[in-house]
Amino acid sequence: METFVIGLSIASILFIVALGLAIVYGTMKVINLAHGEMVMIGAYVTVLASKHLGLSIYSCLPLAFLVAALFGLAIEVLVVRPLYGRLLDTLLATWGIALILQQLIRIHFGFALFGIQIDGLGSDLQNVPVPAELQQTLHVLGTNIPVYRTFVFGVAVVLGLVSWWLIYKTRFGSQLRAVSAARNITAACGVNDKRINALAFAYGSGLAGIAGVLVSGFKTVSPDMGAPYVIDAFLVVVAGGVGHLLGTVLSAGILGEVQSFVATWSNDVYGRTVLFAVVILILLFKPQGLFVSRNR
Amino acid sequence: MKERTITFAAYLLFFAVVFALPLALNSFWTNRIAVYLVYAICAVGISLSWGYAGILSLGQGLFFGIGAYMIAMSLTLAVPDNNPVPQFMLLNMEPNALRDLCCVTPGSFLWEPFRYLSIGILAGIVVPCVIAAALGYVMFKRRTSGVYVSIITLALALIGQMLIINNQPLTGGFNGLADLAPLSVGGVEFDPYGKSVYYLVAAVLLIVVLLSRLVVSTRLGHVLKAVREDDSRVRYLGYNVESYKLFIYCLSAAVAGVAGLLFAVTSEFASPSLMSTSFSISMVIWAALGGRGSLLGACVGALIVNFIGSVASENAALQPVWPIVLGLMFVLVVLVMPEGIAGIAKSWVAKPRQPRSLKEVTQ
Repeated sequence: METFVIGLSIASILFIVALGLAIVYGTMKVINLAHGEMVMIGAYVTVLASKHLGLSIYSCLPLAFLVAALFGLAIEVLVVRPLYGRLLDTLLATWGIALILQQLIRIHFGFALFGIQIDGLGSDLQNVPVPAELQQTLHVLGTNIPVYRTFVFGVAVVLGLVSWWLIYKTRFGSQLRAVSAARNITAACGVNDKRINALAFAYGSGLAGIAGVLVSGFKTVSPDMGAPYVIDAFLVVVAGGVGHLLGTVLSAGILGEVQSFVATWSNDVYGRTVLFAVVILILLFKPQGLFVSRNR
Repeated sequence: MKERTITFAAYLLFFAVVFALPLALNSFWTNRIAVYLVYAICAVGISLSWGYAGILSLGQGLFFGIGAYMIAMSLTLAVPDNNPVPQFMLLNMEPNALRDLCCVTPGSFLWEPFRYLSIGILAGIVVPCVIAAALGYVMFKRRTSGVYVSIITLALALIGQMLIINNQPLTGGFNGLADLAPLSVGGVEFDPYGKSVYYLVAAVLLIVVLLSRLVVSTRLGHVLKAVREDDSRVRYLGYNVESYKLFIYCLSAAVAGVAGLLFAVTSEFASPSLMSTSFSISMVIWAALGGRGSLLGACVGALIVNFIGSVASENAALQPVWPIVLGLMFVLVVLVMPEGIAGIAKSWVAKPRQPRSLKEVTQ
């Protein structure tokens, strides 16, 4: 039961990161390898905000969303946009950005070169204080459930609902879906597809930023923490089927639980190995993903 | 015809310089450049699969690492201290286990065949090939392409790295295999800091480049280029696209394996970091900077990036900035010079004739 709850929180993080990636990938067919760094940025926003501004983890959620979204917007406009249609090249360019962002944290945004150190940056591991009410443990039906894990789950549910509303109920969402189904025709109908791309990229990055805040509560924060997320999240997107919100939810759930159960049963490495094997099997038997999008 | 002569001259010049270099180098730099030449072999492998067939593998480090580990196992056993079992295994064994390779740690019997150097060398080429064939068969059969291939290969390398770190009693874990014996074949000992290893690496590079050149200049190479441009069209023409892709992917894995073998010989260690994501992607940027569509360009790219990289990392002021420069290199190469150095050189050599203006045509 406890394993299930932990799995649920892993799945929640995975879901939030993957949702961002899925929106970007679904719209532009671009994989942002710096997506994991958006998680890292979100985590560092939390570290810096709690150290220097005394903000709690709650107020960091919108702040990290904004900061990561701005980074995402900048990346889209400066690097991704000139590379439309060159998907593999985008992969390399965004990896380069990931390198730059990691190193900027390590050298204190460059201030370290002039001997200035900023508390909370650098290559060391950082910890974030978690509010007391989130540190408690609930006792339900004879099992211990950490409140923080349920908080993570709650945030994921809210973000999932917000994203659903955004994608299926708003004007932006219908334009977004139209662009991912048929870009040229949508553009011909008068939709500014570049604007949609930029917004989608910013929103996806912002989601990753929120995931970063949540992660910082139960893992140490370091400059290279982001890299594993982008791969896991991509596997979730692939397994769930591109362009399908429910697919992303379910595959994040399945993969998160699989990882958590195998990890408690043996260890984390085998957890990830099995995760990878499951995704390969899914790709083998359902190359379109578990849930095929019926957009067209 | 003229372009061909210039290309030939470029290859000739490159290898002339490579073979002449050790005459001017001390033993430290001989070793460093030998390592860069090993990287150049890797870049040739990338250029084969990515530049010619459009398959961007971000997991070449897996094959490179496997190659290094295979020969490193043989070279570990060649050290007298490591008999009957390697030192690190003694630290990981059960107290009452038999001190023999058969059963000192779980799985240690897998080391048994590596008592023969020839098996270590062979395995360093065959194992990457077999893994690439199995993975490639699954991927290409399912018509997985583009970014999917990249991410799957990336994930596989990550898994490989984690498995090696995790199986300490079998693999030496995080520390890898160090303090290897020098390679010695038929009584000839190859000193990593001497000219012998350098020329071994340079000769292998020459062979790999020549073989690759041969492969891509045949009909097979043309089909591969066509696959890169539009694989469904090639499929409609009746070609079995999957087997072509599988072939080139295995070939590039084997080349990476060979490079791994030589790396272990030159650097005297094999460690899980060889399989890291960043190393695998670095290989791609070497090929990209030099020119993905050019085997020679890929070699030059590997040499340039690594040379600058090692100069920068020895300089205290440059060291913290180097990863940023490397990151910018990724972005700028892709944005500004997608065909790399080779592309720029090519455009200098073959200046296209000015297209006639509309006025001229209508007159």
